[in-house]
Amino acid sequence: MVALWRFKGAGFLLTLLAIWELAADAEWINALIVPLPSKILKIFFELVASGQIPMQILVSMKRALTGYLLAAGIFIPLGIFMGISPMIYRLFEVIVEMLRPVPPPVVIPVALLFFGLGDEMKIFVILFSCAWPILLNTIDGVRGVDWVLLNTARTFRLSRVKTIWQVILPASLPQIMTGLRVSLPIMLILVVISEMVGSTDGIGYFVLDSQRRFKVAQMYAGMLALAILGYMLNQLFNLIQWLLLPWHRGMDNRKDEG
Amino acid sequence: MSRSHPFNWLGWSSFALLLVTWELIARATPKLLLYFPPVSRILAALGQALATGSIVQHGLVTLGRFAEGYLLSAALAVTLGVMLGYFRFLHSLLATSIELLRPMPSVAIIPVAILLLGIGDGMIVSVTVYASVWPILINTIDGVRSVDATLIDTGRTFGLNSWRILRQIILPGASPYVVTGLRIGLSIALILVTTAEMIAGSRGLGFFILDEERAMNSANMYAGIVVVALMGYALNRLFLLLETRAMKWRHGMMARQVA
Repeated sequence: MVALWRFKGAGFLLTLLAIWELAADAEWINALIVPLPSKILKIFFELVASGQIPMQILVSMKRALTGYLLAAGIFIPLGIFMGISPMIYRLFEVIVEMLRPVPPPVVIPVALLFFGLGDEMKIFVILFSCAWPILLNTIDGVRGVDWVLLNTARTFRLSRVKTIWQVILPASLPQIMTGLRVSLPIMLILVVISEMVGSTDGIGYFVLDSQRRFKVAQMYAGMLALAILGYMLNQLFNLIQWLLLPWHRGMDNRKDEG
Repeated sequence: MSRSHPFNWLGWSSFALLLVTWELIARATPKLLLYFPPVSRILAALGQALATGSIVQHGLVTLGRFAEGYLLSAALAVTLGVMLGYFRFLHSLLATSIELLRPMPSVAIIPVAILLLGIGDGMIVSVTVYASVWPILINTIDGVRSVDATLIDTGRTFGLNSWRILRQIILPGASPYVVTGLRIGLSIALILVTTAEMIAGSRGLGFFILDEERAMNSANMYAGIVVVALMGYALNRLFLLLETRAMKWRHGMMARQVA
């Protein structure tokens, strides 16, 4: 039954595409602005086969993942310390509250000033924008750790490092993963924006450049590539979460199905 | 996060220390002036831009586009979300299309919008609507589906018509989810407005900030960022304020947000 519902959705989508194709073919819509779906697909496969799209995606992903992993590497530990110690929390609270409401794209000009058009500019912007969801979720996760667990650790005379590593980190991991999940689409959005505003390569640049050169089908092909990329990143994240949080299996997957 | 109600002396001192360090480093190394103007100079630039009104005008333009885009997308997404959450058939029809569009980073729509709509206000508002629709839509669908079926059945048993079931059972029941979606949508709308202004605009704070960077007026650029940050902060506070008030009355809220 479920399979049948799914099929209905796909059928509806195919019908829409068929109408689009026919309308464009009959020149009811301007093919210069909205080309035939079949043409977009053809160009998409050509660009994939020629290696142009995979190369641009590779360039973008290198930047995106560097920024993302840096954000995780800096802000998960900071979040753990801020979650454990009220003093460290208070020390950073005001600075965090001042920086957090800055819409991330606005940081691009600053990064341009400091780093120019290179990779560092994008990495910095992604680092900045992924920082807040990761940090705040880590703090919440650490604060939510059951007191009984901490007292048990104390009873067994676990060292501070061991308590963090063996008790606090695993217990707050689900919430830390939530922060990382929320940051994933932000990472993708920001790499695209920073490549649109200041770059000479990458998939974001590719899409905007195609539009400026009026290579419209190529622009849509780039967008299709981005949609597939977003989907695959999400699936990859699910897989990693499934491996990292064996006890959570089956709980979080439903949320994504919308 | 609610423990720190007394004034956070420690936090404000560390923030002040940061600003003072910035000021001193910037003053000591004139070479850095281009990237790193002293805080005092940024504040002076902010004061001047406020006095001449230039930054206020750009701010109002951005705020207007944001408000238009965000309110439109809230109205659209909540309406559509309620329909998709309530009518299973409609949802099964559109689910595949939604699942295919959603993972695409929303800013990728900007080039298409430029192509279709040019580089005016319409384009900027449209991309804002497009981007902030998704979180609101998905959360509203989830919220409507989370409403206890027994409540709806009870409503039916008492002879409520569909409209009253919608207004008095489904909307209040879904409201926590809707509010979450609206909160996420708010920051996304702000991201999209500023981005679109950077890529194709001749007005607005996004344009102002990037333009001042290109003109190497870094003090003005930072002043613009301060203004955007204050705007983001104020909008978030306003949202929280409305949320707490709305959650007290629960159903009055939905009517206001849909409107």
